[in-house]
Amino acid sequence: MNERVLLAIGTKKGLFVAESSKHRQQFTLRGPFGEGVGVYSSLIDTRGTPKLFASSCNPFFGMKVLRSTDLGVTFHETGSAPAFPNDDGRALANIWAIEPGKEENELLCGVEPASLFKSRDGGDSWELVPGISNHEHARKWQPGNGGLCMHTILRDGHRIHLGISTGGHYLSEDGGETFVAANKGIGAGFVPDPFPEFGQCVHKIVGHKDAPGRLYMQNHGGWGGWDGPGGPRPDIGVLRSDDHGHTWRSIAHGLPSDFGFPMVVHPHDPDTLYVVPLEPMTRTCPGGSPAIWRSQNGGGTWEKLSQGLPRRDSFFTILRDGMDIDHHTSPSVYFGTTTGQLWIGREGGEEWECLFSALPPIHCVKVAII
Amino acid sequence: MIVFVPSPLRCRCGGEAELQVNASDVQGALEVLAKCQSSLYGCVCDETGAVRRHINLFVNRDHIRDRNGLDTPLLENDTLFIMTAVSGG
Repeated sequence: MNERVLLAIGTKKGLFVAESSKHRQQFTLRGPFGEGVGVYSSLIDTRGTPKLFASSCNPFFGMKVLRSTDLGVTFHETGSAPAFPNDDGRALANIWAIEPGKEENELLCGVEPASLFKSRDGGDSWELVPGISNHEHARKWQPGNGGLCMHTILRDGHRIHLGISTGGHYLSEDGGETFVAANKGIGAGFVPDPFPEFGQCVHKIVGHKDAPGRLYMQNHGGWGGWDGPGGPRPDIGVLRSDDHGHTWRSIAHGLPSDFGFPMVVHPHDPDTLYVVPLEPMTRTCPGGSPAIWRSQNGGGTWEKLSQGLPRRDSFFTILRDGMDIDHHTSPSVYFGTTTGQLWIGREGGEEWECLFSALPPIHCVKVAII
Repeated sequence: MIVFVPSPLRCRCGGEAELQVNASDVQGALEVLAKCQSSLYGCVCDETGAVRRHINLFVNRDHIRDRNGLDTPLLENDTLFIMTAVSGG
């Protein structure tokens, strides 16, 4: 079979699937699947026979998980969605992350209120992961604007990194049995203590298989002008760790804003990463002029990538899972906007083109080469 | 008594628009659904047993909040309507 590029685009009105040949010149669109219902997370699972998953977050009838075994031509509900035990007292409000687990048929799911679920059968049944879901901090976490969500699940061998808004970064080094808050160096601007033990509003965490121990984080920045207790907290929004997330340091210098949501790493170069600086108050493109920013030296310096993007009057937001990068030798970057545009940045973001201009507001974008 | 099922949820109970249920109050009717129509029940109530935010339950013409809530009694000829709220965007 010829290689093809698949995009899973989660929107306010359902999931869309876009498909192209490996050349990525023309994309065809199908969907919406789970029509009319918001999709906040999707996964293209390339382990074994490829499968697509999407959370279908129905405000009327509750959460469902959709699964496709035919590369996104049809979708069906899995046997069940994650659910808290009846005596827990919490009720599932949203599904923010679906990620591959350790075994081929294993999935991990991050939800709101912030908790982790595991499926051992490809999404048909789910069990609560108590080490984090019943963590002693769990009842002290506070919701951010998007809710109290566990949005990032990053596996690295026996380590699991979790991003919680607002809970911070939690690390397991025993395969998910136990978790500790690992937030040393991660700032917060909305509590008196500028560097609390936990409770930070982490937006995204990414890593790379070729750089063990190194992580990058988009944290909730935009606090440089804070004049309350503890003083200004500049540059706390874009961070790096070189010790498996135990400590973090700023790499925000040189960006027009340290506020943003998504972050991706080049598939073949752990020193190259991409962020989307946004105005912290409006969470839109600075000056109405969108740009993706790239570092090719692990956050030491940054360069603006905006060729082909609008130069003015564009005030969209790119949400935390709204950007991804494919694994071609010369990869393309993709991002979706809250105004329903799906953009491709060819040659690693050097040249941008709008693939679809009028989709519903886009929550998440995932890409895979099948 | 009868439980009326709105069209978006009929796929959860074999396409039926009406279900015959023996129950003396709304809570009892929901418990029957939890046992016999679990997929439908999961769309009406969350895992704590609370009726979902955008679901309204009526006994005949009365919203249960204007009666006795989940304790609202049901008579043999009553209909419990499951309705979706006007919300969204």
